Amino acid sequence: MGTLFQSAWQVPFGAFTFRIDLLSAVFLVAITLLVVCAGIYGAGYMRAYAGKKPLGPHIFFYIVLALVLVVIATASNVVLFLGAWEIMSIATYLLIVFNDEDPAARKAGFLYLVMAHGGTFCLFLMFLLMAHTAGSMDFDMIARAQFPPVIAGTVFLLAMVGFGVKAGFIPGHIWLPHAHPAAPSHVSALLSGVAIKTGIYGICRVIWMTGGLPEWCGYVLVLTGVVSGVMGVLYALGQHELKKLLAYHSIENIGIIALGLGSGLLGRSYHDPLLTMLGFGGALLHVVNHSIFKGLLFFGAGAVIQKAHTGALDRLGGMAKNMPVTAALFLVGAVSICGLPLFNGFVSEFIIFFGLFHGLGHLPLPGAVVCGLAILALALMGALALACFTKVYGTVFLGEPRSLPAPERVHEVSVWMIVPMMVLAGLCLVIGVLPQPWVRLTLAAGAYIARALPSGVENVLAPLAMVTGMAAIFLVLAFVLAALRRLALSGLRPMALVPTWNCGFSGGTGVAPRFQYTASSFARPVMEFAKGVLLFRRQAPSIAADFPGKADLHSSVHDASESMLFYPLFRRLTSLSRRIDINRIRYTQTYLMYIFVFLLVLLVWKLK
Amino acid sequence: MLMMVFDVCSHGLLVLVLAPLFVGVIARVKARFAGRTGPSLLQPFFDLRRLFFKNSVYSRTTTWVFRAAPLVVFAAMLALSLLVPLGISRAPAAFTGDILWLAAMLGLARFFMITAALDTGFSMEGMGASREAFFACLGELALFMNFITLALLAHGFSLSGMIGVDAPLSWEHAGPALLLVAASLFIVLLAENCRIPVDDPDTHLELTMIHEVMILEHSGIDLAYMLYGAAVKLLLFAAILVPLVIPFRTGYPPVDMGIFLGGVTGMAVLVGVVESVMARLRLNRVRNFLLIAFVLAFFAFIVGLWRM
Amino acid sequence: MTAWIDASCILIVFFALAMLATHRLIGVIQLFAAQAFVLGFVPFFLHAHDLSGRDITLALGTLVLKAGLVPYILFWAIRRVSMRSEIKPIIGVGASLIFGALLIAGAFWVSLSLKLPGKPLSDLILPCSLATVLLGFMIMVTRTLAVAQVLGYLMMENGIFLFGLSLFDAMPVIMEMGILLDIFVAVFIMAIVVNHINEAFERSPGSNRGKMGESG
Repeated sequence: MGTLFQSAWQVPFGAFTFRIDLLSAVFLVAITLLVVCAGIYGAGYMRAYAGKKPLGPHIFFYIVLALVLVVIATASNVVLFLGAWEIMSIATYLLIVFNDEDPAARKAGFLYLVMAHGGTFCLFLMFLLMAHTAGSMDFDMIARAQFPPVIAGTVFLLAMVGFGVKAGFIPGHIWLPHAHPAAPSHVSALLSGVAIKTGIYGICRVIWMTGGLPEWCGYVLVLTGVVSGVMGVLYALGQHELKKLLAYHSIENIGIIALGLGSGLLGRSYHDPLLTMLGFGGALLHVVNHSIFKGLLFFGAGAVIQKAHTGALDRLGGMAKNMPVTAALFLVGAVSICGLPLFNGFVSEFIIFFGLFHGLGHLPLPGAVVCGLAILALALMGALALACFTKVYGTVFLGEPRSLPAPERVHEVSVWMIVPMMVLAGLCLVIGVLPQPWVRLTLAAGAYIARALPSGVENVLAPLAMVTGMAAIFLVLAFVLAALRRLALSGLRPMALVPTWNCGFSGGTGVAPRFQYTASSFARPVMEFAKGVLLFRRQAPSIAADFPGKADLHSSVHDASESMLFYPLFRRLTSLSRRIDINRIRYTQTYLMYIFVFLLVLLVWKLK
Repeated sequence: MLMMVFDVCSHGLLVLVLAPLFVGVIARVKARFAGRTGPSLLQPFFDLRRLFFKNSVYSRTTTWVFRAAPLVVFAAMLALSLLVPLGISRAPAAFTGDILWLAAMLGLARFFMITAALDTGFSMEGMGASREAFFACLGELALFMNFITLALLAHGFSLSGMIGVDAPLSWEHAGPALLLVAASLFIVLLAENCRIPVDDPDTHLELTMIHEVMILEHSGIDLAYMLYGAAVKLLLFAAILVPLVIPFRTGYPPVDMGIFLGGVTGMAVLVGVVESVMARLRLNRVRNFLLIAFVLAFFAFIVGLWRM
Repeated sequence: MTAWIDASCILIVFFALAMLATHRLIGVIQLFAAQAFVLGFVPFFLHAHDLSGRDITLALGTLVLKAGLVPYILFWAIRRVSMRSEIKPIIGVGASLIFGALLIAGAFWVSLSLKLPGKPLSDLILPCSLATVLLGFMIMVTRTLAVAQVLGYLMMENGIFLFGLSLFDAMPVIMEMGILLDIFVAVFIMAIVVNHINEAFERSPGSNRGKMGESG
C-alpha cells in the first residue's frame, strides 16, 4: 500500500511520511476502537471528579495520546516515529499522574518515565544502526536494505529491550503493574489495551524491515513470551487489588502475543509459510482481541471501584446484585481473556496453537521441542488465567458483600459507562462466533510481516467454521436444557428463595459474609505450589497460648524482577551518581555551564 | 445431510445411555469388592429420574450464574461428545485441531462450575472451587503433554486421528510411548473426574471433597444436570483411552463395536478396582500424582522423538 | 521379543520415577523390588531363541538377589529398628519429578551421540539404562535417610546392569563388574543394618526409642 501523506520537515533527516499498510491497519483498528470507547467511558467516569479537579489538562493529554498513537502506527520515518514515541511517553506520564495528590501515583509515573526513557535509548541506538546500514531514514528504504546477520541480530536484541520495556516483557515490565492501576480506569484501559501494543507494533515493524533474522531470534522471542506469559499470570493470581491484577494479566497476554510472533519468526527462519502466517497472524489477532477484552475488563473494574470505593478483592463481594449489567459484561470479558470458546480469546489462541502444533510436526528437532514447550506454556496460561478470573469474578461480583459500603448504596453506573462496555462485549462475541473476516485480515497481515502473500488460509478457516458450528450446537443444547428445566419446574409448586444451606452451619441464617472464601485463600494452592519461582510471603503468628489473642495473617507475592533486579540497580545508580557529583550541585548556573561547555565542544568538533 | 443428522443423534443417544451405565458398573464393582451385592446397573438412571422430578431450591445469595452453570456444564459435555469417537468410526464432528476445542470446552464447563460454587458464598464450596482450579492447572499440563505426544506419533492433531480411530497406531513401533501415554491419560482420567485417589465421589465429608462439595447447593434438576454432565465426562475420557489401548480392528463394524463396548466396560471395572484397592491421597500429594502424569507423558514425548 | 524389551525398559524407568515420587520408605522398597523383578526378565527376552546357561544364571541371580533378598533384608532392617518414617527429601517431590524428567531428556540426548560396539536388540536399552543411573544418582543426592540413599545406589546399579546387558556379547567384563557391584551392595546393606541397630541401642532408653515404636 502506498504513501498516504508526505511532506518535508525542517528537522534534519525528518519527513512527515505516513503510510498505512496491513500491519498498520490491524493496529489502527485496535487503537481507534479503544480510543473512542475509552473516550466515551471517560466522559462518564470523570463526572465524579467534576468540580474537584481541573479536567482540561487531562482531556488535552488524552487527545494528544490518541493522536500520537495513530502517528506511531502510521509513521514511516525514523525521526517522526521517535518523536511521536517520546510524546507518547510524556502524555502517558501526565495521564498516569492524574491523581497527583497520591504519592503512589507520582512514584508510579516516575518509574514509568525512567523505564520508558531507558527503552527509548535502546531504540535510538537501534534506529541509528538500521539507518546507517540502509543509508536512509525512511522505513520503506530500510526495508529494502540487506542486513548482515550480526547487525540484524543486534538490531533485534535492541528492539527486544527497547520495545520490550514498553510492551511489558518480563523483566522490563516493572513499571506496568504500578502505572496502570494508578491511572483513571479509562486511561488504564487505553494503556493496557493499546499503548503497550505499540511495543509489539515496533517489534513487528522491525521484523518486517529486517527481512531475514538469524534463527536464534525466534527462539529468544518464544522463550520471552513463555516466561512473560507464565510469570505474568502467576503474579496476577497473587494480587489482591483488582486493577493491579488486570495489569499483570496484560503482561500475560503480551507474553502470548510474543509467543505467537516468535513462532512466526521460527517459521520464517525454517521456511515454513503456514507456521509463519499462523504465528504472526494469530499474534496480531490477539493484539486486537486483547485490546477489546482488556478494555472491557478495565471499564468493569473502574465501574466497581467507583461505586465501591475500593479495589481490594477481599473487601468486595456480591456486586452482581447491585450492578447486574456491569457484572454480566465483566463476565464476558473474563471468559474471553481465559481463551474459552464462544468468545474472541479462543479464536486467536486457537490460531497460535494451530501454528504450534503444525510446527511440532514440521520443524527440525530444536524447533519442534520449542513448539512443544510453547504449547504447554499456552495451555498452562489458559488454566491459570481461568483460576485467576474465577477468583476475581467470584469474589467481586458473587456471594455476599464482604464489607461496607452498604450494598443498597451501590447501584449501576451511568449509561455513558455501560454503552462502551456493551460495544466491546458485543465485539468479543462477534469475533468469537463469526471469526472468519477478522482471521482473514490478520492472517493477511501476518503473512505481510514476512513479506509474503497469505497462502493456505483454508487450513485454519475450515476448522474455525467447525468451531462456529460446534458453538451453535452448544448454544442450542443449552437452550434446550433450559427449556427442559423450565418445563420440569413449571409443574411443581414454586419454591421461595432460601438462605444458603451451608451444611446447616449458621442455623439457617445463610452465609456470614466474613466466612466466605477469600481471594487469597482461593489462590493459595497455586501460590504454594509455585513458591519456587515466586516470592510468596506468608506471615502467620504461631499460636502459643491456650486462648490466643487476636491474630493477623498476611500473604503477598513480590515481583522478583522488581525487588531483585531493578531496585538494586536503581540504588547502585543513585549511589554512583552521588559519588560522581561530589559537590551536590545546587545552582542552576552550574547546569547551564555544563550545557554551554557541551555546545562549545560540539561547535569545535563540527568546525575542525 | 440427513445422514449426518442421524449420525449426530445416534451418537448423542449412545452417550446419554452409556454414561450412567458406566457409573453403574463402577458402583457395582466397588460393591462386589466390599462384599455387597450392590445396586442395579441402572441405579444411576433411577437417581437421575428422581432428581428430575424434584423441585430446585435456590439460595437468595446466588445469582443467575448459579442457575446457568448446570446448563453450561451439561451442554458443554454433550457438545464435546460429538468430537469423541465411540467405537470404530470417526467422531461425527471431528476436525483438525478439535483437541483445542475439547480442552477449551472442558475449561468453559469448569469456569461456570467454579463461579457457581463461589456464587453460593459457602466457604466449603469455595474451598472445593479453589482445589478444582489448582488441580485443573496441573491436569491441563498433563493433558496437553499427552496431546503433544500423540500429535507427534500420529502426524496430525485431530482427536480421532490421534487416538488411532482413523488408522490404528503402530504399537510395534510406537508401543513404548503409547504405553506411557495410556498410563498418563488414565491418571488424568481419575483426576479430571474426581475419582479416588484424587477425590472420593461417595464421601460426605466436606473438607476432603472437590467435585462433590462444589455441587452441594445444587438440587433437583440442576443437580441432575450436573451429575449427568459428570458421568458423560467420565465416559468421554474412557472412550478416548479405549482405542489407544485396543489397537486392532476386525473390519466388521458390529464386532468392532462389541470390542469397543467391552473395552469401555473393562475401563469401568478398572476404575472400580482402583477405587476399591487404593486410599484417597492426602490432598497435598494430589499435585504429585498429577505431576507423575505429566512426567510420564513427557517421557513418552521423548521416546516418541527418539523413535522418529 | 523387541516389544517386550521395550516395555521392560520403559517399566524400569517408570519405577524409577515412581520411586522419586513416593513418600513412604516401604513404598520405595516395593518399587525397587518391582524394578528388579522386571530387570530380571530382560536377559530372557534378549536371548529368547538361544538361551544359554549364562543367561539363566544371570536372570535367576538378579531375580533372587535383587527382587527377593535385598528388599527382604531392607524390610527386615527397617522393622528391626522400628523405623517406618517417611523419606525426607531435600528438595520437594514435585521439584524432584521435574528434575527427573529433565534427567531423562538428558539421558536420551547423550545417547544420541554415544556409539556402541554392536547393535543392541532394542534402541531403548541404552538411553533407559542411562536414565536409570541418573535417577538413582539423584535419589542418592536428594534423600537424607540412609536407607533411601542405599535404594538410590541400588537403582543406579540396576541401570548399570541394564547397560551391561546391551553389551552382553561384546563386553563380558562389564557383566562381571555388575555382579561384583551386587556383592558390594549386599555388604553395604549389611553395614547399614548393623549401623542402625547400633544407633537404636545407643539412644537413651525409653525416650526416643519408645516413641518411634509407637508412632509406626
